[in-house]
Amino acid sequence: MDPASLLPSLLTAAWLIPLASFVVIVFFGKHMGPHGKLAGHVATLSIGTSCLLSMIALFGVWLPSHPVEAVSHGASHGTEHHEEGDAHQNDHEADPHEHEKEAASVGSSPYQLASYALVAEDSHEEDHSAHSNNDPPPYYTGEYYTLASFGSLKLVLSYYIDTLTVVMFCMVTLIATCVHVYAMGYMHDELHDFTDHEVTLSNGAHLKRPGRYWRFFQYLSLFCFSMLGIVIAGNLAMVFVFWELVGICSYFLIGFYIERHSASTAANKAFIVNRVGDFGMLIGMMALWASVGTFAFGDMQDESGKTLVTESGEIADPGLFTQLRTAENDHHLVPTEQIVKDGERLAWVEADGSSESDSKAGSWLLLIAGVGVFCGCIGKSAQFPLHVWLPDAMEGPTPVSALVHSATMVAAGVYLTGRFYPVFTPEALLVIAYVGAITLFIAATIAITATDIKRVLAYSTVSQLGYMMLSLGLGGWMAGMFHLITHAFFKGLLFMGSGSVIHAVHTNDMTEMGGLRKKMPITAYTMLIGCLAIIGAGVPLVGMGLSGYYSKDSIIEHAWSFADKNPVHIVLLIAPVLGAMITAFYMFRLWYMTFAGEPRNKQRYDHAHESPSTMTTPLIILAVFAVAVGWNIPSTDVGVSNMLQQARPVGTLAASQGVLLENLTIPSEHDAHNYYIPAGLAAFGTAAAGLLLATIIYLWNLLNPSEIKQSFRPIHSFLWNKWWFDELYWAIFVVPTMMIAKLASSFDRGVIDTFLHGTAATAKGGARVVDAVFDRTVVDGSVNAFARGTWDFGLMLKKLQTGSLRQYILFIVVGALVLFVSAFFTIVIAGS
Amino acid sequence: MSLSEPKVYLSFLVFLPAVAALVLAFFPRGKEEVLKFATLGVTMFTFILSLGLFRQGAGIDFEMGVAEMQNLFALDWIPSFGIQYMMGIDGISFPLVVLTTFLCVLAMGASWPINKHVKAYCILFLLLETGILGCFVSLDFFLFYVFWEVMLLPMYFLIGVWGGPRREYAAIKFFLYTLFGSVLMLIAILMLYFNSDLTELNATQLANTGIISFAEEGDAQSAMDEWLAGDSDLAKEYAAVNSANESNADESTRRQLHTFNILALQQIGQNTSQFQGTALFGQTVGWWAFLMLFVGFVIKVPGVPFHTWLPDAHVEAPTPISMILAGILLKLGGYGILRICYPICPHAGYDLAYFVCLLGVVSMVWGAFAALAQKDFKRMVAYSSVSHMGYVVLGFAVWSAFGSNGYNPEYWEMGVNGAMFQMIAHGISSAGMFFMVGVVYDRVHHRNLEEFGGLFAKMPVYSGLAVGIFFAGLGLPGLCGFIGEVLVVLSVWKYSYVLAIISASVVILTAGYILWAIQRVYLGAEYKGPHPEALVPITMRELAIASPLLALAIVLGVYPRVLLDYMQPSVDRQVERLAELTEGFEEQEKARQELEGTEEVAIARAQPRLPDGIFGSDVLPNTTLKFSSTEPAQ
Repeated sequence: MDPASLLPSLLTAAWLIPLASFVVIVFFGKHMGPHGKLAGHVATLSIGTSCLLSMIALFGVWLPSHPVEAVSHGASHGTEHHEEGDAHQNDHEADPHEHEKEAASVGSSPYQLASYALVAEDSHEEDHSAHSNNDPPPYYTGEYYTLASFGSLKLVLSYYIDTLTVVMFCMVTLIATCVHVYAMGYMHDELHDFTDHEVTLSNGAHLKRPGRYWRFFQYLSLFCFSMLGIVIAGNLAMVFVFWELVGICSYFLIGFYIERHSASTAANKAFIVNRVGDFGMLIGMMALWASVGTFAFGDMQDESGKTLVTESGEIADPGLFTQLRTAENDHHLVPTEQIVKDGERLAWVEADGSSESDSKAGSWLLLIAGVGVFCGCIGKSAQFPLHVWLPDAMEGPTPVSALVHSATMVAAGVYLTGRFYPVFTPEALLVIAYVGAITLFIAATIAITATDIKRVLAYSTVSQLGYMMLSLGLGGWMAGMFHLITHAFFKGLLFMGSGSVIHAVHTNDMTEMGGLRKKMPITAYTMLIGCLAIIGAGVPLVGMGLSGYYSKDSIIEHAWSFADKNPVHIVLLIAPVLGAMITAFYMFRLWYMTFAGEPRNKQRYDHAHESPSTMTTPLIILAVFAVAVGWNIPSTDVGVSNMLQQARPVGTLAASQGVLLENLTIPSEHDAHNYYIPAGLAAFGTAAAGLLLATIIYLWNLLNPSEIKQSFRPIHSFLWNKWWFDELYWAIFVVPTMMIAKLASSFDRGVIDTFLHGTAATAKGGARVVDAVFDRTVVDGSVNAFARGTWDFGLMLKKLQTGSLRQYILFIVVGALVLFVSAFFTIVIAGS
Repeated sequence: MSLSEPKVYLSFLVFLPAVAALVLAFFPRGKEEVLKFATLGVTMFTFILSLGLFRQGAGIDFEMGVAEMQNLFALDWIPSFGIQYMMGIDGISFPLVVLTTFLCVLAMGASWPINKHVKAYCILFLLLETGILGCFVSLDFFLFYVFWEVMLLPMYFLIGVWGGPRREYAAIKFFLYTLFGSVLMLIAILMLYFNSDLTELNATQLANTGIISFAEEGDAQSAMDEWLAGDSDLAKEYAAVNSANESNADESTRRQLHTFNILALQQIGQNTSQFQGTALFGQTVGWWAFLMLFVGFVIKVPGVPFHTWLPDAHVEAPTPISMILAGILLKLGGYGILRICYPICPHAGYDLAYFVCLLGVVSMVWGAFAALAQKDFKRMVAYSSVSHMGYVVLGFAVWSAFGSNGYNPEYWEMGVNGAMFQMIAHGISSAGMFFMVGVVYDRVHHRNLEEFGGLFAKMPVYSGLAVGIFFAGLGLPGLCGFIGEVLVVLSVWKYSYVLAIISASVVILTAGYILWAIQRVYLGAEYKGPHPEALVPITMRELAIASPLLALAIVLGVYPRVLLDYMQPSVDRQVERLAELTEGFEEQEKARQELEGTEEVAIARAQPRLPDGIFGSDVLPNTTLKFSSTEPAQ
């Protein structure tokens, strides 16, 4: 079993099967069974197959050839944690497990990755102190085909497979399968003629239209294909291709109810806001492309997964990461010569040739590249300031919200930030951290006041994505990616639960719900698990908890560690800790308002019922994962965090120092464990406080929410209106853009065309003048004069015509005489 | 005279539509359906003829991966002025020829609703096709100019007679704009002609021009001797001029052998200093020629601020004519810039690169903004053409081959290839977009964007196709528009990061106007305009026109090498030649600075370095070498 050929085949198949399903449904969807019912089966079957293939790839191919070591300093191994935390107190090198992995890759040639597992066995003899940074993770990369190539510049479709890829494949396909099954129940209405109560026609009636069941699954399949394309992509350009494709799928899915103006507007908003992010991403890509000349993540490999080398032993076709973090530089980020050169062309960079100025110039360019690419992630992951599209995206059907706008697509931004991690300079990481912190705080505050159940979850998603970005920015790569995986499960669960509720009561408004746990217990208690997972419920110090506990605690550890090194940036610690409290508050507010207490709307309550099993089964499955995805498989070291550890990007373990901001230190990821206890307690304390507050207000009714609303009216209004972002953007972006557009258009008509018409009129006028002055007087005058002269002469001659024969003879004689004389003289004169 | 000869095949390809037009003129009245079918048949046959060039190994074919001009032939036409009937195709013109014949078939299919003066329409349509094809294959400047004008007149009538309410205004505007460009072009042609001298080219360079030809492995010199010994009029003239100059030591009364041969002018522009003489205001002949040619072509492209004829022409023109106008005619502008401006006047091109890039970027931004403001569906699409063609102009000019950037012409290659790709991609997507607008216009007879809505429910297949084609225009990956745009945009940073950032920002505006238009036309609950009963599903004829366009858009977007493999060798060769020249500029500039001790960074307009000929590496130190018929130098 050769992973170098097997893994790509399995994952490529898993990637392409949804595309096949899309194509089939596009052409035949309408005719597949009554109202296209079979289309749902086709799509579900195909994504299920993808899921199966991904699982085989992970458990059948990857894990046997790359055994997981207990290297995690994450939270997944319970009581062990104390000791490990202590062990890390002074020096991470005290942990033998850690070194097993690190030394493994150092012991071999850094680039002979296929031999990684082999080397791991005898690596104990290796020198443990010689290095401070980690080598590239084991990966397989290869090309599908070339799109275009220009000399050494090549745009290709390629794959890059490491543990992160495989784990993401499993996560995406698993959740997508659940969502497909769920959607077969949820979209049931579309199987017959559908009356859209949200659309009122001009004649006052509601819109009646044929169902579009098959079309929904067509878009879902295309979405799965695009999403998996991002994950498997082996280079930045390919990521960008599928990045845009998931964008357009999201556009189709948000705007699924094309008749609703709000839906199509939300779809437009989502795509255009994402394009703003992509604009930044293009800038980042251009900067890298011009200076590095490649987008590939990995170094070119041969069929067996060995890095291609030249005869002199150098890497034949180094990828982006290898070029920027060479082994000679101990995998620290050092700008190449060309990057420095291109950096010096930037207007504000002063180059004096010293190594310090070189390093600054290079850092500037890398900062542009890094922040540029991160802009794309801001758009896709709905981070501040481009977070405005995600809540509106809830216009789409709920399965879409669950799959696209919580679990997978919006996570693509975090995924790319994690994938692209080796290129981010410390300054870029700081930008990422701040964006994450601001986002998590803003979104969490807005979620407090929202009453639309899906919008609360949408803001919660934005906020949790902010956590992930913050963690990545603080140097906590592992924690961020871990939270990405755990969040996908519990947020998918929460959204599908909310969909189940909406399906039952036909409203999104929580003020019309209440007491539903009696009517729909499965939904209620699976959602409770989701809520507990998202607030990071667990037992502090013992280290046991639901999945969110592990990932969120380690994020706060990182924040603590970072704030300790950089006291200036203390706000990056306050935000997540405070955010944990708000999260707990609004999540339980949601649960209490929906499921606890007395029904607020009797009619809706009576109408409510538990959803069919196609919808509850996925809920149960996801609930199991929401509890357990953070755990290791019993009596092994196989767990998500340990597996992710295998994919740690090259050179991201060691601390790094800012170049442009000299006081900035991104701490080593190990340092975070020193803060295990305070961070764990802080997270637990704040979450408990938030939970308690929500319980006091919404369960025990000790405080009246509307009174609180009254006393904090301005703040409530500020939050209720989402910090006025939509209005602000409308005023400062949309209106001026439309004004410039009108101006450009009227400039064409008003100025350019007026000038042309003026020129034409002048020419015409000039022609008239010429016509009047010259033609009519001079030309016509002379012609007329000649005519008149001829006429007069004729009249004169007329008088000679008398009719008298004698007179005529006289004329003839005189004439002949004159002729003769003149001829004579001519001859004489000529003769002389 | 068999079809396997280039001169027969290419002439047949070009003139078949014109001959057919002549035959159609004798068609009896009243059989309009038959006329349309006959015309469609002719365009199809022309299309098949152009596809015949793909046939590998036949007497006449287009070989993939060959950079040089293929199927080249030259016959003396007006020998006293050195005007030749000269045609050939290479990777730059071949895709455009195929695009032309292909779109003409589709446009003729789209002409079915036309019922006014059908005979005249068909005749003019076919004449137009001849004019366009002639432009793409002719390699003699005079011949090119003739075809350029041949193309202009039918277009004028097609807009002016078969157009909308303001057709006469639009037609005259189009005509005068283009004529203005033509006049500038004519001046430039004459300037170049009277400054050119064929006798200064050596054998290899002459071989590059296609004037002398030789078998593979042949030696340029012996081929030249053979040519001089032959009985071609040009060879006799050449010998006469040379012998006259030999017996005349006085440089000022030297005789010159002028030429209209585009390939020869390219060689002269790149290898000699004939166009480096000072003309007006201290600028060289080449500089002025470049500027005039560029303006002439950029009107056609069109670039801001020479673009206002386009929206009017499109709005008034009937659907098929809009398809041809946007799909092919605009490409002539781009083709001219690439084939004529840059290779003939490379020094001016280098000097003015920033200006040209800026014009491209301004067009991109301006067109996108203006499209956003339009209320008329077709006008919006027309402005989107301005924006998309801006990429073409930008891509041509990203002259990234200079020392301060680490001398890397690869990015420029990428830009020019991207621009060429964008031309073809835009040919497909814009023709498709105009057709899609035409389909609804034929039904409801209005184009007001505010009065549509809900078409998806009434015409689902049509709407699906339309959205697909509009997304190709939006530059969505997987469709043709993306490849061209991304290649151009990625290549710009190396040249100028300011322009790169501005050009990248256009992606937002493009998404804005296209999505907004889709929302207003196809989405929504109900149709808001007049004649709702006329909104019937797409017909088979319309489907047969729209689906190949979308299919091509997908193929080119997914596997762009289908096109690049044919196009790239020729484009790359031209870029490499010009880039080598640049290296010469840079070296001279460096030498000059060292000599003068100045730090001033300016572009030396001195003698260019000679690039290697394609057939050998005989680099001449200078170009003043003369060679006679009997004893050629070298």
